[in-house]
Amino acid sequence: MMIWWIIYGMAVITFLNRYFFLAKSISIKPSESFRRFLSFSSLAVLTALWTPIVFRMETDLSWSIAGWDYLLASVIAVALCLARASSLLVVVVSTTAFFLLRAFL
Amino acid sequence: MGNQPVESRSVFWSAIAAILPLSLAVVPWGVLTGALAIQAGFSVMQAQCLSLLVFAGAAQISGISMISAGVAAPSIWGSTVVISSRHLLYSIVFRSHIDGLSFGKRVVLAFVLTDEMFVVSEAHTRKTGAFSYLFALVSGFTFYVIWNLATLVGILAAGRFDQLGSYGLDFAIVATFIAMTFDQLSSHPEILTVLVAGAAAVLLKPYLHESYILVASLMGMAVGYGLSQRKDSTVDSRGGSS
Repeated sequence: MMIWWIIYGMAVITFLNRYFFLAKSISIKPSESFRRFLSFSSLAVLTALWTPIVFRMETDLSWSIAGWDYLLASVIAVALCLARASSLLVVVVSTTAFFLLRAFL
Repeated sequence: MGNQPVESRSVFWSAIAAILPLSLAVVPWGVLTGALAIQAGFSVMQAQCLSLLVFAGAAQISGISMISAGVAAPSIWGSTVVISSRHLLYSIVFRSHIDGLSFGKRVVLAFVLTDEMFVVSEAHTRKTGAFSYLFALVSGFTFYVIWNLATLVGILAAGRFDQLGSYGLDFAIVATFIAMTFDQLSSHPEILTVLVAGAAAVLLKPYLHESYILVASLMGMAVGYGLSQRKDSTVDSRGGSS
């Protein structure tokens, strides 16, 4: 029973976070400059999601790269992006490279 | 509404095409989430409802691991608040697009609002110059269906995926996000946004637990915004056109 309550609680919390600023009763009228600020959000969030998976840092400030397989495959992905490869090609080739690196390194 | 069927059909398919690579990239995580839930003592129904109702990968996985560690409900909810707080940011952005939408449509939009849906929808908005409710909804629900099917597979196969996390399947997510990041890079403020948000996320993660995503994003956005303001005023002072 406890697990059900935890699930319901989590569902309400995640929904409210998603809905909060969509609610009509929350009257915010974003200004032009605020919108411009927000226009950087998807790029910023994306980057903040993937960089810590590739580079890991411990609280004692020792650098650790999650593994050379991650770093090398990321470099391959970036290189393909700079070469203007399509997104799908970038994902397929670099992920394949990742698994090969994993298998052979 | 519906007076341009051809156009909406193409929006429909482009939404699916945009979200599909991201949906497939999180399949391993969906499978993992289902399998972990069963191992943590969830019933089949509970494990599936976690994905059906909560529909937030990071929150689900941390919730499951806290339940199996015997953590009390209030602490679990507290970490859910922090982890899902980044959605506040997304809802602010969407808010500026959705003035005319009814209550029901807003609720539905909120329900399928995820990192992935937000990212592809914003990319679509930037490309076409206008927010598309249809695009957001189709990409959001496609992601929802695939996430739940992946969870179901994990539930059914629970026990055989003990080591899934250590296979490094998270690289598919990294590759997808790298491709999407570079896809959107076109100006100096954007490049600076990426550098600052990326460095901040790496440096802050050990200290801030899951809120590092929100904090690092805000830092990157502030730098990007500041730089874009300065660039504008430079253009203005040179008498450039508006």
